[in-house]
Amino acid sequence: MAEYEHGFAIDADVCDGCLACMRACPTNAIRVKYGTASVLAELCIDCGSCLTACPHGAITAQTVRLDDFRDFSFRVAIPSPVLFGQFPPDVRPDQVVHGLLAAGFDAVWDYSIELGLISRATVDCIRHWHGQKPLISNMCPVIVELLQVSYPRMLDQLLPIVLPRQIAARQIKQSFSRELGLPPEEIAAIYVTPCQAKTISILRPAGGGRGFVDGAVGIAQMYNTVLAEAQEAAKSGRQTYGWSPVRSAGILRWATPRPLAGRIGRDRYLSVTGLPDVIKVFDDIEKGRLRGIDYLECRACWGGCTHGNLTVDNVYVAAAKLENLISDLPEFDDGGQAEVERRYRREDLTPAQKPEPRPAVHGGDLRERVRRVKDAARIRERLPGLDCGLCGAPSCDVLAEDIAGERGALTDCVFISPQRIEELRHLHHRED
Amino acid sequence: MAELLLTSSYQIAGRDFDKGGEISTEVKVLLQKLEIDPRLIRRAVVVIFEAEMNIVMYADEATITFELTDEDIGIVIDDRGPGIPDLELAMQEGWSTATDEMREMGFGLGMGLPNIKRNSDVFDIRSTVGEGTVVTSRIFLDDHG
Repeated sequence: MAEYEHGFAIDADVCDGCLACMRACPTNAIRVKYGTASVLAELCIDCGSCLTACPHGAITAQTVRLDDFRDFSFRVAIPSPVLFGQFPPDVRPDQVVHGLLAAGFDAVWDYSIELGLISRATVDCIRHWHGQKPLISNMCPVIVELLQVSYPRMLDQLLPIVLPRQIAARQIKQSFSRELGLPPEEIAAIYVTPCQAKTISILRPAGGGRGFVDGAVGIAQMYNTVLAEAQEAAKSGRQTYGWSPVRSAGILRWATPRPLAGRIGRDRYLSVTGLPDVIKVFDDIEKGRLRGIDYLECRACWGGCTHGNLTVDNVYVAAAKLENLISDLPEFDDGGQAEVERRYRREDLTPAQKPEPRPAVHGGDLRERVRRVKDAARIRERLPGLDCGLCGAPSCDVLAEDIAGERGALTDCVFISPQRIEELRHLHHRED
Repeated sequence: MAELLLTSSYQIAGRDFDKGGEISTEVKVLLQKLEIDPRLIRRAVVVIFEAEMNIVMYADEATITFELTDEDIGIVIDDRGPGIPDLELAMQEGWSTATDEMREMGFGLGMGLPNIKRNSDVFDIRSTVGEGTVVTSRIFLDDHG
């Protein structure tokens, strides 16, 4: 079986085997045995539900701080548009840029061009697409992993266009290495991210290999410093920076669940947020039930990226602030649009790697697989069907499959084995 | 002679729009557990889903039987309903007797039977007016099984 690496780790010393993560996991990837949770790597899609659910802080995510990039000569921020909706209304986007510089970045990239470029390319791709519809956005890395694990056949419908942060990073390395006379590898392109999943996908892209982005720092990790500096700048009324990173409504829409609103037919453009709803819609696509939709925007987090686990503000407040910022801006920024057109003619926007299917495979020939499925059905009939989770599997169905696949035992079930209850009593004994 | 490895059957009631579509999901999960090639799974899911939609629109009730042999996936849809007077016409794309109400719900595009046929390697349909229709679809397994 292939080894999959993930960005989350469970600290066995801190974990007390409480089952919260197992119950939260949307792909049934967690088991709790002997009072400790563990992950079946082939099923994990890096959504972070377990981290949010754990009441003991036993699940940690691989984090990166700006300081970890100190070996680079020059550090450039690529700010996710989500960042600009995270501040009080009196803090302008150009003041946020000032805050990022004060927090330690050497430059802040004007990300609006790449976002415009990808909008342009996506609209074009949708128009000329002859494959299965709908095309599915590749923006949310959890969705890409969900497709790899549970809907491998639909990977052909994944938007075949490189991610905007990757072309931004490529451009950053090129232009700053020319401007500063430094080798490209000494220039760090760092994404300021609303979620852990993007950090993980930057360090380990779903398609394999390594992209141009060197790493990601969470919005929450920089927030206090950036806010203090930006507010200071706002108070003094100082013109802080030569340009604003946000010059058109189109750019900020990338922080919303409908970045292409107004650019493709409203009734042919669907936006779905929250993993359970995304799964329902994917099931419908598989049946051929979803007709007449050209493009599907999916985000694992309810409400979209403003709800990422590394954001600061309440998701609804952030959405309102973004709406407000968007309403003050012109639809297009003419100078930016000209640059987008110039680069669109010149640049190759095909992704280097395509994410491959990653279905859970127990293997064996057809007869062996049929035997397993039949065994699981037989075992399932002996289980109570209460999905109590005390066996350490999230449901009776899953335990039955685990037993048939030889990674569980019938005696794990507390209804079948009184000894199991004794074990649990011993493990979870509390002093009165 | 192909060897039957696994079979399961499902009952479905006509006009039950709420439940229509559930069997295709159940079979999908089963085929995924059997680690069948995802391309074949998708075809089988479309066959069953289209059949379910036909049943909820036109039939009184039906039995859908799923079979896995060492050579193929078999799906038999046996309904008690009005039957189809002109099979040749019913197999034409876009031909439908759906009411406006059904169409408003997004059904009755006249693609059901043609879609089932397109996704099958072997397709057979027999119908008796006033009694019902039996559709048989077989999808060949590849080397992996």
